[in-house]
Amino acid sequence: MPHLKTAYTKYQNDPGVAFVLVSIDDDDKRLQRYLAEMKFPFAVLRANKDEAQQKMGFDDLPATFYLDRDGIVRFEARGLESHGDSKERVSWYIEQLKR
Amino acid sequence: MLAMVIAAVPAAPLAQGGGREQLARGRAFWDQRLARSAIAALEAAARDKETAAEAHEVLGRIYTFKGWQQESVFPGWHDEPSCRTLALTELRAAVAAKPDLASAREALATAEKFAAADSVDPAAPRDEIKALDARIETARNPAVPIADLEAAIEARAKAQADPAPYFTGAQVLLDRGEADRAVVLAEHGRAASERFVGENLSAYQMAGKSQGAYNRGRATAADLIGWAAFLKKDYARAAASLGEAERLSRGQDFINQVHLAELARTTNQTEPAREHYLSALALTSGAPPQRQRATEALRTIQGGGQTPEPFDVWLERELTRRREERRTEALRSVVDHPLPGLALTTADGKPFDAAGLRGKVLLLNFFASW
Repeated sequence: MPHLKTAYTKYQNDPGVAFVLVSIDDDDKRLQRYLAEMKFPFAVLRANKDEAQQKMGFDDLPATFYLDRDGIVRFEARGLESHGDSKERVSWYIEQLKR
Repeated sequence: MLAMVIAAVPAAPLAQGGGREQLARGRAFWDQRLARSAIAALEAAARDKETAAEAHEVLGRIYTFKGWQQESVFPGWHDEPSCRTLALTELRAAVAAKPDLASAREALATAEKFAAADSVDPAAPRDEIKALDARIETARNPAVPIADLEAAIEARAKAQADPAPYFTGAQVLLDRGEADRAVVLAEHGRAASERFVGENLSAYQMAGKSQGAYNRGRATAADLIGWAAFLKKDYARAAASLGEAERLSRGQDFINQVHLAELARTTNQTEPAREHYLSALALTSGAPPQRQRATEALRTIQGGGQTPEPFDVWLERELTRRREERRTEALRSVVDHPLPGLALTTADGKPFDAAGLRGKVLLLNFFASW
């Protein structure tokens, strides 16, 4: 996940872009430890694991969705590989939707 | 001399026993492919000067395996590139600690060769494990006493901690009409699966994959237990357990679908029986004799009703429809749809309304800390 933090530096002062993490952890303690360690500079929400997988249709993590201003899902990147560790990839998706 | 050895004991307390004991434990865990416990014991042994070289060597061998040689050695396993540097570091530490340790030098040479290679083949199955698996297969013969079969399963399970011998053994016992003993083994298999996946969690790389491995173990056990209940005519328990297996395997397991079909047929539920047989046959898995049996069972069911067309034509049409439905389902994506209504909370558990994020370009990343 460090690449998301890196990608975020470009958008942290952009009011038109938001980064939101959604944890599907069951184990609250473990999640809190992880969050304390990672110190994410953006919002972290939680969802039920089964509900999230079923409704969003993913079975690998991380699963990243890019939504436009109207709340429509426009892009989806599954797993680490397709996501790439690159901030350029993240930026590309966001820039497409900012147009 | 004694004083020197005592002085050499590091300040960090050893978890359990001295270096010798930890080294033996670490080796035994690794023989069973229980990676997490092996690494913990060997790291303790590496802190004891007396056993440091040997412990570093085994650690190096483990990381060599994890880094280059474990792709698909068990279902869902992948190479862990992050272990490659560790392998070289550990093996160099072993050679540095004891320059005349020939096995460590050899292991280091191998790892260095792997590091320079374009690709490395996964580790081949171990001969001793293959021999023990063959012993279990032999016990399919009803002439082999049950006690010998159980001894063969135990021996194999002791040699390598994956759940396969228990599940295979449970199946053999079911085939031999030993339902109660099969249930015991299926439960051992489920416990072994939980432990084995947990001990090797990093080999699955992605949470979805380790979860898939946990679910496979649970589904296999539930199906075996459900089928044992069916054979004992305990249809309520069979329905519960086979249904659990179906949920865990997302209806994608051939044998489980056939079992559900047989249960439905036996309890005179023709429509569910037909559906489960069709679901099974629409999957590509299932050995030819099993597919043949399922097809014949389905033919019998269809024979009872009014069929205006030949069975084979009907079957082909039904299977094509199901396969297409499955394909569409796999492709169905949330892309170009509004965010599905999902119950979200903040990290400390307060409800969160995603509508508040409208008007912004949003990156939504689902993750888990496991």
